[in-house]
Amino acid sequence: MAEERDAKVSQHYRGLQALEPPPELDQTIVAASRRVVSSPGRHRWYYSLAAAAVLVFAVALTLHIERERPDAEGLSQAAAPQLRLERELRGVIKQPAESESKPAAQQQSKPDEVRPGIARDAEPRSGFAPEPPASAADALAAAAAAPQQEPAPAAPAVAARRLAERRKSEAPPQMQLRREETLARQYAPAPAAVPILAPAAPERPERWLERIAELRSRGKHAEADKELVEFRRVYPSYPLSEVMRERVEGR
Amino acid sequence: MQAADEELMLAYRAGDAAAFETLYRRYRSPLYRFVLRSVKNRALGEELFQEIWMRVIEARARYAPQAKFTTWLYTIAHNYLVDHWRKRGLSLVALEGDEHEGGAPDPADHAQARESLARFAAALEALPPLQREAFLLHEEGGLSVTEIAAATGTHGEAAKSRLRYAMAKLKAAIDDG
Repeated sequence: MAEERDAKVSQHYRGLQALEPPPELDQTIVAASRRVVSSPGRHRWYYSLAAAAVLVFAVALTLHIERERPDAEGLSQAAAPQLRLERELRGVIKQPAESESKPAAQQQSKPDEVRPGIARDAEPRSGFAPEPPASAADALAAAAAAPQQEPAPAAPAVAARRLAERRKSEAPPQMQLRREETLARQYAPAPAAVPILAPAAPERPERWLERIAELRSRGKHAEADKELVEFRRVYPSYPLSEVMRERVEGR
Repeated sequence: MQAADEELMLAYRAGDAAAFETLYRRYRSPLYRFVLRSVKNRALGEELFQEIWMRVIEARARYAPQAKFTTWLYTIAHNYLVDHWRKRGLSLVALEGDEHEGGAPDPADHAQARESLARFAAALEALPPLQREAFLLHEEGGLSVTEIAAATGTHGEAAKSRLRYAMAKLKAAIDDG
């Protein structure tokens, strides 16, 4: 404002001591000005580094988990046949009960039908086929082959006699089914014979056979053969009647 | 060519610390004298001086060149002084022991100058705070009447009147010798 300025007054004012801020005060203020400017950048850098660290950790953790998975999958692959059998058995077990129009099964009193089972039992089995212990199979075979033996249980002997009588009378399929059911109960594999990998009880033999027969009738021979093999592993000593044999074996 | 004050402040707002240091070097002495000659003692003056610059630093993010940088700077200083005036009386910094460095070659003139200067300092101290402030903003800060009005939150006529009265008293003190 030039109109208000007076040179004399200004001169006198300039004549007063030229006061200056002390150096330490300058340093304090300048340092504060630098801190304010530098700290946000540091924070940005910090958060970027923190985000990168979290990302690296997440990726490493994911990779670690993925590495762990193949081991479990490898075991599952190694146990695939067992699991497959287990699933099949479960699937067989879970199948609804089919109509009980099954042909009669031959009595296990026929030694010819039992002995192959025994022979098979004696042979070393491969894979994960469930099978009864040889001792149990032998017990069953002995009980079936010698109903007249005193130490044999009475039930198999009674069942054998009943079967013989009914065969003579050419019992209808329903009665044959009942016979088969009875035999199935009697000659059901021991608990120890249950496959180790099959926590659930296997399907009842008559139902299983019926299912195999149905597969055969539908022309699904490969599946029928497969099921039959499994059936014989689970129930190696289960007697098959001629009718049933023809149906499941496709002869 | 020196960068404008407003450009430097905008640069500081953008993160350029050196821009602030340039501004500080430009206005540290005038503002220091303005504050010290407006308060009672040197320690308090230095405290206010630091607070004013801290406020400038704090407000950098909100700075917008709507007025001159000096007007904005002295507005902050005025607000701090008003708070100070409300708490205690306004008084000039005691200049005991401060020697006049102007120096006239003639010893007689030197004595006369010293007396004149003493009267001037006394007259400056005796000014009402608002008049003294107007004078210091004008003389030390280089603000115009309009800018003084903006810095002190008053209208132009009031600022002009204060400055006129201040100048008249100081001139009279000089002429009395």
